[in-house]
Formats: sequence, C-alpha cells, structure tokens
Amino acid sequence: MAIRRLPEGTVNRIAAGEVIERPASAVKELVENALDAGATRIDVQIGGAGRDLIAVTDDGHGMDRGDLLLAIERHATSKLPDDDLLQIDSFGFRGEALPSIAAVSRLSITTRASGATEAWSLAVDAGRVDEPRPAAHGQGTRVEVRDLFYATPARLKFLKTDRHESSLIADTLKRLAMAHAGVSLTLIEDGRRVFTFPAQPGALLDGRRARLAEILGRAVADNALAIDLERDGVRLSGFAGLPTLNRANSLAQYLFVNGRPVKDRLLVGALRAAYHDLIAHNRHPVVALFLDLPADMVDVNVHPAKAEVRFRDTSLVRGLIVGGLRHALERAANRASTSIADQALAALQPGLPPRLAFGSFPEVRSPIRLNEPLAEWQSPIAGTPFVPGARVAEDAPVPEDIQHPLGAAVGQLHDTYVVAQSDRGIVIVDQHAAHERLVYERMKRQLADRGVARQILLIPEVVELAPEEVQRLAARAPELAELGLSLEAFGPGAVVVREAPALLGDTDLQGLVRDLADDLAAFEEGLSLRDRLDAVCSTMACHGSVRAGRRLTAAEMNALLREMERTPHSGQCNHGRPTYVELGLGDIERLFGRR
Amino acid sequence: MKLTIERSTLLSALGHVQNVVERRNTIPILSNVLMTAADGLLAFTATDLDLAILERAPVSIGQGGATTTPAHTLYDIVRKLPEGAQVELALTKDQSRLTLTAGRSSFTLPVLPREDFPMMPDDDLPHRFKVSAEDLRRLVDKTRFAISTEETRYYLNGIYLHAAKSNGIAMLRAVATDGHRLAQVESPLPEGAAGMPGVIIPRKAIAELRRLIDQADGAIEVSLSDTRIRFGFGNTVLTSKLIDGTFPDYQRVIPTDNDKVLEVDRKRFKDAVDRVSTISTEKSRSIKLSLGHDKLQLSANSPDSGSASEELDVTFPGDTIEIGFNSRYLMDIADQVDGDVAALAFSDAVSPTVIRDLADERALYVLMPMRV
Repeated sequence: MAIRRLPEGTVNRIAAGEVIERPASAVKELVENALDAGATRIDVQIGGAGRDLIAVTDDGHGMDRGDLLLAIERHATSKLPDDDLLQIDSFGFRGEALPSIAAVSRLSITTRASGATEAWSLAVDAGRVDEPRPAAHGQGTRVEVRDLFYATPARLKFLKTDRHESSLIADTLKRLAMAHAGVSLTLIEDGRRVFTFPAQPGALLDGRRARLAEILGRAVADNALAIDLERDGVRLSGFAGLPTLNRANSLAQYLFVNGRPVKDRLLVGALRAAYHDLIAHNRHPVVALFLDLPADMVDVNVHPAKAEVRFRDTSLVRGLIVGGLRHALERAANRASTSIADQALAALQPGLPPRLAFGSFPEVRSPIRLNEPLAEWQSPIAGTPFVPGARVAEDAPVPEDIQHPLGAAVGQLHDTYVVAQSDRGIVIVDQHAAHERLVYERMKRQLADRGVARQILLIPEVVELAPEEVQRLAARAPELAELGLSLEAFGPGAVVVREAPALLGDTDLQGLVRDLADDLAAFEEGLSLRDRLDAVCSTMACHGSVRAGRRLTAAEMNALLREMERTPHSGQCNHGRPTYVELGLGDIERLFGRR
Repeated sequence: MKLTIERSTLLSALGHVQNVVERRNTIPILSNVLMTAADGLLAFTATDLDLAILERAPVSIGQGGATTTPAHTLYDIVRKLPEGAQVELALTKDQSRLTLTAGRSSFTLPVLPREDFPMMPDDDLPHRFKVSAEDLRRLVDKTRFAISTEETRYYLNGIYLHAAKSNGIAMLRAVATDGHRLAQVESPLPEGAAGMPGVIIPRKAIAELRRLIDQADGAIEVSLSDTRIRFGFGNTVLTSKLIDGTFPDYQRVIPTDNDKVLEVDRKRFKDAVDRVSTISTEKSRSIKLSLGHDKLQLSANSPDSGSASEELDVTFPGDTIEIGFNSRYLMDIADQVDGDVAALAFSDAVSPTVIRDLADERALYVLMPMRV
C-alpha cells in the first residue's frame, strides 16, 4: 500500500488522543489556559461528567479576533515568546490543547481582550471552524466544550462511569487549586455547586496552607509540617504530614513542579525514602509539596499531558526532598498526630457500651497489696476516682516533671500503658511500642556511626539481570557499599556481589539484588537493602525492649518518657502506629460536656 | 495381617522411621508408616517423597499382610507402653482399622490402603562401595556445620560427596559451604567408589544418616546413581534423592599460597574468641585478630557494651596483620579441630584464610574475613 499523508482532521484526532485522554484532561488544559491568562477567578461547569458540557469561564486577559482564530490552529501559541523550549514559564507551550479539544468535540469560545470594547465568539465543530462573530461578554474568556469525544466514538466507549469521571475532574481541579491559592476556583456540576475555593490572600505559604486546609480538611492541615527551604535555586515548600497520619494509597500525595501537578517517580521515590522506616510498607504519607526551580533546570516537555517531568540535576532534587522532609520530621521528632487523640476521644464518647467508659476498666486482677506503702495505691490526681486495675506511681509527680512535653508518669495501666500528666493534659504511652522504637533508633545510630560490617564472600554471587538494570546498579555501587553490599558489573548482563552485610547472615542475595534493581527502576532509590537491614534491627529491637505486661517503677516510667522526648521519631513505632496518645485538657473537658 | 512383636523391637524400629515423617502433611498418607509382614519379618517404610527409610524387625506372624497407619501416633503409643510388653497388631476383618493390644491396653488406629503408599524405586544403583561408620561419621560431622540454609542457593543446601585425588592419593571427599566459609574433609577412597559421580546429599538426609550412624558399627553399604543415594545399615536402609544442581567449583576458592601461618592452641584460642566476642553485641559478632611476631591479640568493641581484648602466645613468624572475622564462624571451625594445635594461614585482610588441624591433614577449612 502506498504511503500517504494523513488529512489534517485525522492528525488532530490522533494528537487529541494523547493530550485529551478523558474529560478531566480537557478540564486541566482549559483551566491551565485560564491560569496562563492571568485569571483570578475561574468557574468550571460540567454536565454529564464532562461528556455533555465543560465550560470554563475566567477573567483573564482574553483574546482579540485575530488571536481567536489562531488559537484553534495546531502549534499556535502565545506562550513561547522566543521559541525557547528551555524557558517554559507557562503551563502550556505546545499550542496543542485547544485544537485537540476542538478536533473531537463541539467547541465554542467567547472572549474579550482586556481594554477591547467588543467581544468575539467562535464555534468549531469537530475541527470545522466557523467565522468569528461579534458577541457580548465581559473581560476574559469562556470556553464551552459540548459533546466531548463525539468525533471519536471509540474513546467515548472507554470512559468509566460518570461518578468516576466527575471525581477525576474534581481531583484535577483540587490539585490545580492547591498550587494557585490566589485564584478563586468553583466547580459546578449539573447546576449544583460542588465546591468553591475563595482566593486566599496572604503570603504564598500561608495562602497555600489555608487552601490546603480547605481541600484536605482540618485534620490534615493541623498535622502537617510546613516545609520551606531552598538550595542552589531550587525551592521546596509545602506540607508534609506526620508519619502517624497515613493512608492506604498514595492518592493523598500532591506534588507540584513549578505549580504544575505531576506524578513523577523520582519524587515518589524521594518521598518513600524520606518516610522510610517511619511508616509501614503498605501505608503512604500525606503530603503536598511544591518544587519551584528555574525553568532551565527542568524539562516539562516529556509527557503529552505533562504529568512527568525531567530534572537536570536529579540528585540535587532528590537530596533536597529527602533531606528537607527528614529534617522537618526530625524536628517534629516525637509528635504523634492529633487525629489519634480524636480517634481515642471518639471511642470514649458516652453512649458506647459501658465497659468502655471511664471508671470501669475491666479488672484483670487486684493490684492492691496491703503490705505496700500507702503511696503505692494512693491516687495522686485530686478528684480522680480510684481506678481498679491501675498501678500508681510510688511518688506524686514532681512539679517540674509536669512541664516536660510528655509530663510526669502517674501510673501504669494493665502493666502495659504508662499514663502521664503534663501541664497540657494526659499522655498515654504504649510502653512496648515506645521502648522498641527507642532501642531501634539507638541501633540505627550505632549502625550509622560504625558503618555496616561486611562479610566478604568466599563464593561471589553472580546475579543475571537486564543490561539497563546492571548499569543502574553499578551507578549506585558506592552508595550500596556504604550499606554493606559491594557489587560490580560482571559483563553487560550480570552483576557480581563480592561482599554482603554481615548483619543479614546467610541470605538470599539474588532476591535482594533483583529487588534493588526494581527499586532503582521504580523510585531511583535502593530501598530494599535499607529495608532489610532495618528489618533485622527492628526484630532485634523487638526482642531487646520492654514487653507489654512488665511492671515499671515510677523512675523507669519517667526515664522512658524523658528518653522519648530526646529521641527523634519516637512518636511512632516502626510500623507508623503511634507510641503515645496525648489528650489535651480541652479534649477532656469536651468529653465531660464542659465545653 | 496379624502379628506379635516385642515392645522394644517395635520402639527402636519406629524410632528410626518416625523421624522421616513430617509432622504436617498435605498428602495424608505421608503421615503414615507402611508395615509389611512376611517371612518372619516386619518391614517398616516411611517417606517424605525425598527421603525414604526401610527397617526390618523379626516378629512372629500369625497372618501376613500389609497396611499403613499414622506413624507419630503409633510411635507415641508404643513409647508409653510398659517395658517388656508384647504388642499384638491386627487388621480388623474389613481391613478398615488396625488394632493394637498390649496387656490390658488396646487401641484402634485408622489405616489407609497400602497400594496408595508412594514407594521409591527399589532398583539397583550402579555405584556401590563400603565405608566404615567411623569414616562416614567424620565426613559428615566435620562438614555439616557449613551447609547453607539459604534455600535460593539450593545447590549449597547439602554435602558434596565425590572422589578426588589429594597429593596423588585417591580420596573420598566431602565439601560443604554457605558462601562465607567452607569445610573439606577426606577419607581414603573405598574400593568401588572410583567411578562415582559427584553428588549433593540434602540436609535432611544428612541429619537422618547421622542418627543412624550412631547406632551402626562396622561398614555401611553406600550405593548411588546420579539422582539417588542409598545407605544400608544391616536391617535399616535409608534412600534419599540428591540435590539436582551443580556444586560450585570450590577448589578455585581454596588458596594454596597463604604463607603467613599462625599456630595456636585450639582450646585456648576458642575460649579466648568466645570470651572476647561477648562484647560484640551486634548480630554479626565481629572480632579482630591482630597478629605480631609470636603474638596474637583478639579484640572486639561495641559503643554500647564497651570493648575487650585478650592476648595469646602463638607461633607466628610473619609480619603484623589485622583481620576481622565473624566470631561465630571462628568458633564453629575451632570446634571441628580435634588436635591440640590449629594452624591459620593468612594472605591478607581481605583474602580467604585457611584453617587446618595439625593432627589431621585430611581436613581443611576456609573462612572469608569481614570488613569492619
């Protein structure tokens, strides 16, 4: 068959397939256009989950008649002033979005340029352009997309349910809203207002924080650490959730590069590395991170929908994220998220089965031994009814102790939980989880101080891998050697392991190396090795720590609390569960209906 | 089937076979022992499909026959019967139950048809030789500590037994390694073993073999093919599948030119290693050997539990060397040395060290150092 050029219409429909994948991507393109036009207020209306109608109205600088005609031509854009693909400051630059949408739908644009006295309207039906007509419109642009994909029925068939498609649209808008706190954004679906995010005044970070609270809810905003740091012209800002605030999937991870929502594996890998060993494997932290860097340090032109980007200096970016988050988390050291206290309080609400109410803890056994000193069972908190099943610290709390963040121990419940009084409220500590974390952190410090002892292999282990995996591993060999695994390329299709971490003993090196290769491919981080070392430390920590059921004296309890305050990351156990719960006085007052 | 057997005879036979039977099985009949009565002998067979054991004991047979019944239950019952009891075993008329009667105790056990019992092929294995119990015990004992437990390197999960030449003399050689250390022990090659293929005997078979050697005296009949090995001890026969894999070319990793040779009293060395390593708390239990002229210093330190050092008088003509080892590996090897003096031959701190028993030139151990 002879080769022929495809007609323009077909070319546009093919291009549309890449850029406009589903209604949500049309919404994204249109809203980004509005943002590029300097809009401060954007209204999005959708009907039939975006199939029937998508209308985006903005108050940006609009277009005049000539621009309007050009706008729907392919590769026509106002956004690349010097044709310089290295300096991309706007969201769009390829001039593909509008023609792509126009190729597969009935599109109409009504616009009035700022300063102009007349508005123009243009209709396009599956790529056929009508003459522009004068129209009446305020300053800005309204783009209406009707019957999206009617020109490509195949795509229409592959759309998911309405509910799914509209939730994708809402998610897309939320992501854009997070990055643009200064812009007011409204979504109206089938005439019903889904959300409005009013423009947030105030400095960038404050505005974003307020916007974030609106979008993700108070619980997230209150349990997120503000991040703001800069290195070599790269700025990382935003919010990182405390490790105890975690989710079962990574949907609550919002990453932005120069205000552009991305799903980039480098960033996801850096996140995993930063939260590594603070959170269980199958849990994901909640973050909203904004990476701002000079346009020439990032290539956004690698993905049709720009969901992925490429960095010129990947190690700088990775280092900034891992280091920045790690540092922030370290400073928050032993904070556990307040949502835990909220959950605990919810469980204590009156009206639940009486066995859960205060004052009637199930009696495991009577701890009262009459031959013990009076102080042994005397309640130190005035007015608190004596709680059977509790062991009370021998000494009343020393006043200074109360000033410590975790307070002074007043007793032990069920030989498992330490209860402490601080000047802010009550702290309940799971003694095993807390001590396990302390021992684990100590072992990790030792490992870091002394380095990982390496057992040299008598019979080096040859692992056959794909050539690109070999290259990836070989490139990271120095880093792996620091963790005790020394390997080198062995021909193009294999690596040979010459030394292994002595800690791992007689272990499955083949499996380990393959996992590392997969990690490097997926996250550009060799997490498996660290994971295995930590797993050994973690098991040893578990064996070397105070178990539940062991009685502690007041001195031991206080020592535990003081060490928790000193140790970073003591707020959660190795699986991201909290090691303690703090109930503020306000919370307790609420519980008794005083507030 | 109906027969009478002495309790102690029955106990000793079941004691041998029940070890092979796994506690938990997905195939029910593998929990059973097959008993076949004929010609004044009762034959017990148990298997886990990789390993099979057959044991014969004299009985007085009322009526011949065969059946299978749960091995562990039967063993537990017989173990608890009073000494000297006469045990009567009989199948019920409909062949659905086995009854066991001893004095005034009686038990009924479920049975499964003997036709379903998996049998290892009983054909002739081409290579046969006899080896003394003492030689076989030594080959197993001095190498089994080095067998790898890591199942992904399945070809290291056993002892490699093969014929080899050592200084021109034909030897039967056993080798085991886990990739960190290696043990090689030889005994004179028995007649008939010259053409044998190199075989890897799996860990579980080694454990059973070792138990049986203890009760054997005299010669053990070994017969093998590429895929199976059989050990005959008179009334007991152990048959195992072999590991289907290639044992690494171990001779390449045994250094021949380690010229810095340390000679040390084995017992004092081992005790000192044991003492000093108390301080290294981490799992790798590393220990440092610092050698000077006729002097050895062992040391360990850990930020948590302090440090330790001990000096030993040794014979060492060489220069100073510092080398780290896993103390557990050092003690494992020191345990294998029977003579008074152990010789450690070094090259440098990152190359394999060869350890020998001065009283036994047919045993050799290789240990890889640690980088600390």
